[in-house]
Formats: sequence, structure tokens, C-alpha cells
Amino acid sequence: MNAIRHIVIIIAMILVAGCHPVESWDNNPEGNFEALWTILDEHYCFFKEKGVDWNDVHDRYAAKVSNKMTQQELFDVCADMLNELRDGHTNLIASFNTSYYRKWWSDYPQNYSARLIEEHYLNFNYRTVGGIDYAILPENIGYMRYGSFANPIGEGNLDHILAYFNVCAGLIIDVRDNGGGMLTNVETIVRRFITERMLAGYISHKTGPGHDAFSTPYAYYYDPAEKGRIMWGKPVVVLASRGTFSAANNFVSVMKSIPGVKIVGAVTGGGSGMPYNSEIPNGWGVRFSACSMLDPEGVSTENGVEPSEGCAMDMDPQQALEGHDTILDFAISLLAS
Amino acid sequence: MKSVIASLLVFFAGWSHAAAQEDKPLRPVTSAYTLEAGGASIVNTYLTPLKYSGMNLGLRYERMQAMKQNPDRLVMRLVAGLSGSRTENPVKNAEMWRIKGDFSWGMTYRWRLPYNVTVGAGGSTSLNLGALYAPRNGNNPVAVEAAWTVNATAYAAWNVKVWGLPVTLRYQPTLPLTGIFFSPDYGELFYEIYLGNDKGLVHGAWWGNYFSLDNLLTADFHFGSTCLRIGYHGEILSTKVNHITTRTVTNSVVVGVSGEWLSFNPYKGLSREARVISALY
Repeated sequence: MNAIRHIVIIIAMILVAGCHPVESWDNNPEGNFEALWTILDEHYCFFKEKGVDWNDVHDRYAAKVSNKMTQQELFDVCADMLNELRDGHTNLIASFNTSYYRKWWSDYPQNYSARLIEEHYLNFNYRTVGGIDYAILPENIGYMRYGSFANPIGEGNLDHILAYFNVCAGLIIDVRDNGGGMLTNVETIVRRFITERMLAGYISHKTGPGHDAFSTPYAYYYDPAEKGRIMWGKPVVVLASRGTFSAANNFVSVMKSIPGVKIVGAVTGGGSGMPYNSEIPNGWGVRFSACSMLDPEGVSTENGVEPSEGCAMDMDPQQALEGHDTILDFAISLLAS
Repeated sequence: MKSVIASLLVFFAGWSHAAAQEDKPLRPVTSAYTLEAGGASIVNTYLTPLKYSGMNLGLRYERMQAMKQNPDRLVMRLVAGLSGSRTENPVKNAEMWRIKGDFSWGMTYRWRLPYNVTVGAGGSTSLNLGALYAPRNGNNPVAVEAAWTVNATAYAAWNVKVWGLPVTLRYQPTLPLTGIFFSPDYGELFYEIYLGNDKGLVHGAWWGNYFSLDNLLTADFHFGSTCLRIGYHGEILSTKVNHITTRTVTNSVVVGVSGEWLSFNPYKGLSREARVISALY
């Protein structure tokens, strides 16, 4: 009998030890709301930085949810709740809509017009490779426009572009309205502008569900492009706007720390939290900032990167009507001088 | 049992030399190639808090042989498997894939009991490598499964005749006791690991954070020297580390072929008097 009792106890111990519970919610409006709130509560990385009282948000929005509401009504309440985070990386994704917080850029001047540049500066005559449009401006300055870091750029592409600009006195990299993409593309480009290993920034992730549970920021470095690649050592100006977001925001923060590089334009849009995906019981996806990327000085750029000293400006709309991009003009004069 | 081996011996008789060899026991290899098909249920809170369920398919090779040192008592077992699962979330608007390869080697000490029953107990070591892939996730689409474990294993086999047909029934559970396994930190993206942060990725395994149980139930129907194997294979994996919970359960039907095979040097021949020590049958 004793042996049987011991076996039963051992089996019970094994089963208890091996039973790792997983929190679950009902697939109804209240259950889905609670799931969404909890996922953000446990994973979102900027509550403190943005001064958001997530418990207070819960109380205000939970009162608007009932199991009698439609999916569309629930979506609207949940989307409004997510907008409290003021985060362009936070979306609720349903089959009929995707929520998106737009005020991070809509409340600011656009500061960029593709048509204006193509017509009045490039004369619709430019080269394109790997998502980069490039041309030599009449002032003998190279101009390259990278519209999205989601477009892959190859090392060979960069060799061709920089070789083409070999005769130029300076280079303008225009990442205004660049909404981001792959951070690996940031590294690919930055490596052409450095001569030795550089501290590119830090990354910190959540270590648990608590709002203060973060890892020690991990420093990461970029190395110069390998031998044989074409490098750029002349002056560089990076054009930025509020629409410069996410990976483009990261690009600006890294380039700003390179000697000889000036950031011209407006404060970037931020978006320094690397997005993470999850989902709630009704199948809606949710995307949100989960890992904070810091600049080389260890400072968060979630609220954007400031232009270099003396280089902050908005595009003059009146001048734009006359065919002048005053931000680009300033950059040209900076490099020409 | 011996009739099964005899058919193999007849095949090799042409090479048997008259010269008598020393009566070393013959230790045929019991090999099985099986196909598994069934259901899978997966939760991995690194990817999603929802439980995904769907189908599981796998291929498995098993090799058993009485060991040279003490063939009557010691049996070694080697298993290599590859499996894949395709699962969907509860509302079936997202899918998750799992692929897993596993390899294990172990030894059991066995006792022959009355009524053609054999029981064995021992240990094994396993290497499991796999990944979960959730295509809808952007920066966290993959959860890697990697573990090296030291296991307790046991089996009970019963050789019986069903309507005159020899059948070997076996139940074999395997329970990891300790080892090491991989897990990223709670909110750590693989991009950070790509950047070089490899701290805290490997964890010591014990039942509190890594529980796995493999249950194999087979029936080998002997048709001459070859057997038809049908059975059940169930795997449970439950881990909790860095506030990430994983729970994977698969239940599969097993179908395949098994048999005993002898390899020998034809120039040395085989002694007809040599004792045959089977690993399973």
C-alpha cells in the first residue's frame, strides 16, 4: 500500500509541476477587451515615459464595453483606448479595419513634397535603385532620397550610388516622410559613413509583466563596410521631418552622432519602440511597442530626434508654391559653404 | 520469436562456413520506420496567448539492440524523428506552424518476467530542435524550441498470440529529468539576439520550468521477418520560464514497419548454435 501511495504522490507531483497555466479570456466583447488591455498592460514599453495611467484607462474604457455591443462598436472603443498611448506603432487589426494613431504626424507640418523636388530640383531626371532615387544637383551636390527602409538596399547598389557621387562636394540624404522599415537597412547605409566601429545605440526589452520590468540597455555597434566597398568621407546632410519614423528615426539618431553629419529639418516622428504582435480571442491582431531603442547617448527617441544645432526649420509653404523647398535649399547652402 | 530470426538465418545460410565459430550470441537490430498522423495543440505566449490546434505529421526511426556488454540485460535504443504541425487559432483566421526534429539515445536494463512479459528501466539523453512560426507576427514571428535533456525511460513489452499471429505489445514512456533549454527573455525580440545579446538564453531544466512526457504504445504484428507496427504516440511539452509559457500536446496514430536484422561478416559465417538475443521481441 505504501508503494502505491508513493507512486501516486510522485505522479501527482509530476503533474502539478508540469501544469503551467495560461491565462484565457472568453470570446465576447468583455473578454476581448480584457485580453487586449492585459496584453498591453504586460508588454507595452512606454507607459512611464508617456505618463499613461493604464489602470485609469481600463476603468474609463471598460465602462463603455458590454457583451451586447457589435464588433464594430467594440473595435471603436478598443481603438480609442489604444490611441491613449499616442503611439504610431500601435494598431488593432481586424478584418474590416486597422486602427492607427495619426496625430504623431498629422498635427505637424508636412515639410516634404516629392513633386516639388522632382519637378524643380531633379527636372524629373534621376536614377533609381533599391528604393533610392538619386541625382547630382546643379551645385555639384549628391542627392539621394530613400522613401522607405522597407525597400531592401544592396551593397552593390550603394557602391553604384556613391561612385556616381564621387565628383560631388557633399551629399544630401533625404528621409523626410520615410515611415521606417528594416533596421538592417539602417546598418547597411550607416556603414558607408564610418571609418571605425561606432556605438549605434542601445536596446532594452521587457523582462516581465511589470511596467518597470526592463533589461539593462544593451549596447550595439556598427562596423564600417568591408574592405573594397565605396565609402563616403565628405560632408553629409540628412533631411528629416515629422514623418521620419521608426527605422528612419533610428537612422537619423545614428547619423547624428557621426562627425561631419548635420540633421536639417524638423524633429522626427519617433517610433523608437520595436513593435511586437499578439492577438485577442476574436482573432483581431494587435501590434504595439515592446522594446525601446535608445540613441548612442542612451536617450530615448520615442518623441523624435532634434535637428542639429541651428538646422531646425519648417518648409516655407509660400516658397514651396514658387518651387522652392526651403529645407533642401538650406542643406545645399550648408554644404556649398 | 526464433522463427522470425530463423528466416533471416536461412537467407544467410549460403555464407555459413562449416568451421564452427565461437558461440557469441547474435544480437539482431530491431528497426522500425513509422509514420505518425494526428492532432496538435499549441500555446506559446511569446507568440500569442491563444491556443492553436490542428494536425500533426511525423516520421520516426527507432533502433533497438541488445548490448554487447550484457546482452541479456542491457538494451540500447536510438530514436530519430521529424515532425511538423499546422495549427489555427480558435477563430481560424491565423495559422501557426511547428517543425521539430529530435534525436535520443538511451539504455535500459530489462527483466524477463513470466508470461512473455519483459520490463525495462533506464535512462536516455535527447536533443530536440524546432521552431514555431506565426506568419501574422512581424518582429516576433518565431519561437525557437531547443533542448538537451537527460531522461528516465522505461518499457513493458508482452509477446502474445492473437488468433495465432505473434504480436508484440509495448508501452514506453520517456520523462526528461533535467537538461538545458533555450528561451528568449519575456519581451526580447530576435533582433536583439541578432545584435549580439545572448545573455540568459539558456536555462537549466527541471520539472518546475520544463516538463515533457513522451508516451509510445505500439503493437507489432509479425508477418514472417517483417512486422506491421501500429500504435499511439503522444507528446506533452510544457515550459514556463521568463514569464513565457509554452504548452504543446500532440496525439498521433502510428503506422509503420519494423523487423529484426542481422549484419555479419560473410567470411566468418554464423554458428547455427549461436543464441539469438532480441532487443524487443
